[in-house]
Amino acid sequence: MTLTLTVDGDRWRDHLISVAEATPGLVPVAKGNGYGFGLGRLARRAQWLAERGAALGHTAPGEAWGDVLAVGTYDELAEVADRFDGSLLVLTPWRPFGAALEVDPKLADRVIHTVSRPEDLAALLERQSDARYVLEVVTSMLRHGMDARGLRSLGDLAHRGRLEGVALHLPLAQGSHLGQVRRLITDAISAGLPTTTLWVSHLTSIELAALRASYSDFTIRPRIGTQLWLGERAALTVTAQVLDVHPVERGDLFGYRGRTAPKNGHVLVVSGGTAHGIGLEAPSGDLSLKSRAATLARGGMDAVGFVRSPFAIDGKQRLFAEPPHMQASMLFLPAGSRVPAVGDEVEVRVRYTATTFDRVVVS
Amino acid sequence: MSSRDQAVRLVLRSVSPEEHLAFVRAQESASFLQVPAWGPVKSEWRRESVGWFRPGTGDEAAEVMVGAALVLYRQLPKVKRFLAYLPEGPVLDWASFSSPDVHLGDYTAPLLAHLKKKGAFGVRIGPPVVTRRWSSSQIKDGIADENVRRLDDIAPLERSVTGAAVVSQLNELGWIPQSVEGGFAAGQPQYNFHVPLTVDGRAKTEDEVLKSMNQLWRRNIKKAAKEGVVVSRGTRDDLAAFHALYVHTAERDHFTPRPLSYFQKMWDSLTPEEDDRFVLHLAHHEDDLVAATISVRVGAHSWYSYGASSTEKREVRGSNAVQWQMIRSALAAGAKVYDMRGITDTLDADDAHVGLIQFKVGTGGEAVEYVGEWDMPINKLLYTAFDIYMKRR
Repeated sequence: MTLTLTVDGDRWRDHLISVAEATPGLVPVAKGNGYGFGLGRLARRAQWLAERGAALGHTAPGEAWGDVLAVGTYDELAEVADRFDGSLLVLTPWRPFGAALEVDPKLADRVIHTVSRPEDLAALLERQSDARYVLEVVTSMLRHGMDARGLRSLGDLAHRGRLEGVALHLPLAQGSHLGQVRRLITDAISAGLPTTTLWVSHLTSIELAALRASYSDFTIRPRIGTQLWLGERAALTVTAQVLDVHPVERGDLFGYRGRTAPKNGHVLVVSGGTAHGIGLEAPSGDLSLKSRAATLARGGMDAVGFVRSPFAIDGKQRLFAEPPHMQASMLFLPAGSRVPAVGDEVEVRVRYTATTFDRVVVS
Repeated sequence: MSSRDQAVRLVLRSVSPEEHLAFVRAQESASFLQVPAWGPVKSEWRRESVGWFRPGTGDEAAEVMVGAALVLYRQLPKVKRFLAYLPEGPVLDWASFSSPDVHLGDYTAPLLAHLKKKGAFGVRIGPPVVTRRWSSSQIKDGIADENVRRLDDIAPLERSVTGAAVVSQLNELGWIPQSVEGGFAAGQPQYNFHVPLTVDGRAKTEDEVLKSMNQLWRRNIKKAAKEGVVVSRGTRDDLAAFHALYVHTAERDHFTPRPLSYFQKMWDSLTPEEDDRFVLHLAHHEDDLVAATISVRVGAHSWYSYGASSTEKREVRGSNAVQWQMIRSALAAGAKVYDMRGITDTLDADDAHVGLIQFKVGTGGEAVEYVGEWDMPINKLLYTAFDIYMKRR
């Protein structure tokens, strides 16, 4: 009855170590669905990484491998706080309302807030005079963050509390980021901030190396999620169980919607439905004309016929017999194909950040 | 936001060379390319002195001059439109821009409006503001290190908040940086070499300056004295001798010399402006001119501007002797910086330019990066045409 993520543990852990070794100052990111693994598991793994790094002598902030764990929201703190004992960076900017005001006082000294507006810094320090925080600079992404003038306007305010650095949230690479990063660092320097730590994301290793060379007087903290946890795809397998198999003949009725079988074959019921994120496609981000045409074509198929499912049998992706149910999906297997037995596992291709697994098995 | 509402509107207008000079004299330093007497040196260009004024307030009715610039108008071929060029200018209280309440836009807006009226299709400025500094020993280590190819590969000794504030505001205001990687840019160099003449806020002694030089420089200065090299101040008539040696140097070192008339123009325009605005130094060994240089000083800033040296009698070290004399004169005049002018940012031991930086490094000074030159197109079409023309030249 389960959608399972099976992890080749040795291979996965080797990958985590190799990313850490190549990325001094690494700040693992655990947010949302925990990249499919779950936040708790990632928090424990970050703790493991930090201890590994410390055992090898990587303890200075610019060298450590996970002394800080980044979470997406304040609500996620509770899930990681007792599985990881280092500092906790919250990526969603602090606001004078909502979950940010309900941080467990026991965590107050471990939490590093992200501050993206001058007025928020004043309000945060008003509530907690020794708050730890990073100042977010707005990038070309234009999501959150202060511009150069905002940073300069902070004045003495940034000398209060515990400023732990300047944070940049860069857009996904479109050419080199370095020009923008240099410009933003100049903006930060222009504010005379009492820090030389930079928290950055989405830089290639070549860009990071260039940054480390010209800013070796700065401590660089690369925040990494996807590339860390999901960078070694070959270590990850997703499978669903076959729950039922029904032979059908052309014209037979089946399903919630009373569809008819287009030809002879089998209807397969497999675990994994909308509750897992199956059939709910995350936007691909590919905006090309071709991909938009393909999306339109798929929508058309949805209306008149069968749609390709993420479930694969014998390496071949099979069609949905009807739109996925909440916890299971129905597939159509044309006559002539090998028919799996109830209890067999079939492979599933998923987007990890949009999938909830019933089980995660790490070997 | 309230500080913006209260910001005073600055007025910019054309000023006389006398007003311009009076403003420059009141500053601790300004680039020599921004003194009124520099204009006539660039006689092929139209020139204008402009000033920024803060209107009088309730208590004081008189307006106050808060900035000045020498604007050179460079004509676009065949069109009666100009690039307005403010080399190493304008002259403003640049340090004030690190304050969040002081806005560069308050100065550039009236400047751009004025220049547009004068027929400028674009404006180029070069704020004489330092953004980064590197020490001599950092540069020496960098040249020795194979992994270091440019100054940018080494973390600087200092990153200037003022420099960053100026760059940051230029970016905000939409100015376009003109810096080029490697080699010299078409305009004024972005990287320069300075010998600081102060320590802990007081003037260095000659001994202290000597001590920060490397052994070779010290030995050469001593040697020149022992060999009896005499450095004297030249007259206008001596410019011809300087020029002959300078042409000889140009042939040896493969650069294109300027004509004698250029130096005469400099002399005629700059010398009357201030006692040692422009000084010709001659180093003789017995009756032979072995080295000759030109130094320029504006306030607390003294430049080594042009130099020439003989190929014969190198062993008497006339070049070191004349440099030392220029440094001593700068110290005596109360200068805070002895400026050896441009260097490239290369630290690649195989690069032809590295010899220049190595010579300058021997003085124990520091490499400085300036904000560089920035452009603001006024007429985009003409600006683009000009840009293409300059790149193809």
